[in-house]
Amino acid sequence: MLEFDQVSKSYPGGFVALDRVSFKLEKGEMAFLTGHSGAGKSTLLKLISLIERPSVGRVLINDVDLSRIRRNHIPYVRRDVGIIFQNHRLLMNHTVFDNVALPLVIEGFSGKDMVKRVHAALDKVGLLDKVRCLPHTLSGGEQQRVGIARAVVNKPPLLLADEPTGNLDPDLSKDIMRVFEAFNQVGVSVLVATHDLGLVARMKYRTLTLKQGKMINDGLLQYQEDPL
Amino acid sequence: MSILFSGRVTSGASAHKISAARRFVMFWVNHVRQALFSLGELWRTPSASILTIGVLGVSLTLPATLHLLVKNVQQVSDSFTQAAEISLFIKADASATQISSLQKILQADKAVARVSHISKQQALEEFGQVSGFGAALNYLTDNPLPDVLLVLPKNTAADSARQLLERLSKERIVEFGKLDIDWLTRLDAIVSLLRQAVLVIAVLLLGAVLLIIGNTIRLSIMNKKDEIEVMKLVGATDAFIQRPFLYSGIWYGVFGGLLAFLIVEAMLWWLQGAIVSVTSLYGSEFRLMALSVSEFFSLMLLAVVLGLSGSYLSVRRHISAIEPTGP
Repeated sequence: MLEFDQVSKSYPGGFVALDRVSFKLEKGEMAFLTGHSGAGKSTLLKLISLIERPSVGRVLINDVDLSRIRRNHIPYVRRDVGIIFQNHRLLMNHTVFDNVALPLVIEGFSGKDMVKRVHAALDKVGLLDKVRCLPHTLSGGEQQRVGIARAVVNKPPLLLADEPTGNLDPDLSKDIMRVFEAFNQVGVSVLVATHDLGLVARMKYRTLTLKQGKMINDGLLQYQEDPL
Repeated sequence: MSILFSGRVTSGASAHKISAARRFVMFWVNHVRQALFSLGELWRTPSASILTIGVLGVSLTLPATLHLLVKNVQQVSDSFTQAAEISLFIKADASATQISSLQKILQADKAVARVSHISKQQALEEFGQVSGFGAALNYLTDNPLPDVLLVLPKNTAADSARQLLERLSKERIVEFGKLDIDWLTRLDAIVSLLRQAVLVIAVLLLGAVLLIIGNTIRLSIMNKKDEIEVMKLVGATDAFIQRPFLYSGIWYGVFGGLLAFLIVEAMLWWLQGAIVSVTSLYGSEFRLMALSVSEFFSLMLLAVVLGLSGSYLSVRRHISAIEPTGP
């Protein structure tokens, strides 16, 4: 599903954000991406969502090399990858419905079909009763869940989350993770970047750990022996 | 359309195998919806919209007014072409029969509309009345004035009138001909100068309008930078993001054009009274011409094209420049 092949990314000025990172995420697999801030987690996600291009190496999704994607085709790639942002990135002056419907509107859905899908996505994150609310009337956890509903509304095969529990208390974080698990169980590949190591250890999923741009761990993370 | 996953259903239309005709209808329905949405956006930011529309309206008013000015001056100059009369002064030794036969020949001429004969006697009487030298003229032993044939050419344009003059001056009994067209050519030159000036001013103002609309759209793009970034992150194409801004440009054009039209109409209404009082003093039948229907539509079309191209220039540069910076 998702493959990194000896990927390096250095920024002008010589800062190396990723150093020969290789890994593979299978179809229907769920994994965590951990590391301190500055370890390269965000850069890795940016390479997948084509915000950045790698300096060396290849990023492949479903065996398609992303370096072959032309600029005007980038939007179509992003439609296949659901992204959840740390700071939600909701449209604050639009209702929850409009926010979740945005990817569908972009893809040309309309009418009943769109309403049905939006309601289904909001139902999965437990926010069906907030359809007509504006985002700023919701709590942080609810806003994050609206972001998740928006990311999954067009049923992407790959889901990326960048610090989805960054600003949430432990109970809410667990709820959010359960939502990701539920999507994973219906066959969606999920990659969650987080520095909440306790949560990661409890969840018992494959964990990719980055340190100064290098992949230092790939497998189950043992909470006791913190590699960082 | 999915590039990475063949067979993945990504569009609402293909999910239901909607017929081409229905998709065509939906395409237009969507455009109308987006146009109305953009109209709503203008409504939501009234102060900025009103300013832009005001600037556009005023900027279009000036060229429209100048155009009307040229049109009306032209109407005046057209009414004066009647004065392009040729006076043929007959040689003193020509006999009355020679004169009347020339008059008949000229009346048969295709280029001549009307010929009238002012005899020496009539001319002297008229001169005596007009000049006030009546008594003094009585002392003259013989009449110094020549016979005159007044010829009105069919084609009253300056050039053809001059050609006719040259031809008629070669008649044997004609001493010389005179055509007072200098002032006519001067008026023509002034009108064409005016027209050129209008063109230059119009081009300048329209350029300004283009920049103003471009700038307004640029500001509204900058205001929505975050929104545009989010839209790009969830897979919106530049074309999709541009559309509402282009519609805003069109709406600016529509309202600016209407405003310009209203200003011009108000100005005409205001001036009408003053002009009537002036023209009635001169006993002229001058009527101020307003914008015709086709001119109104040209004005609107021009305004809409300006609005659209102004926003297109801005949108093309600024929307592709906004790139999401991070998830």
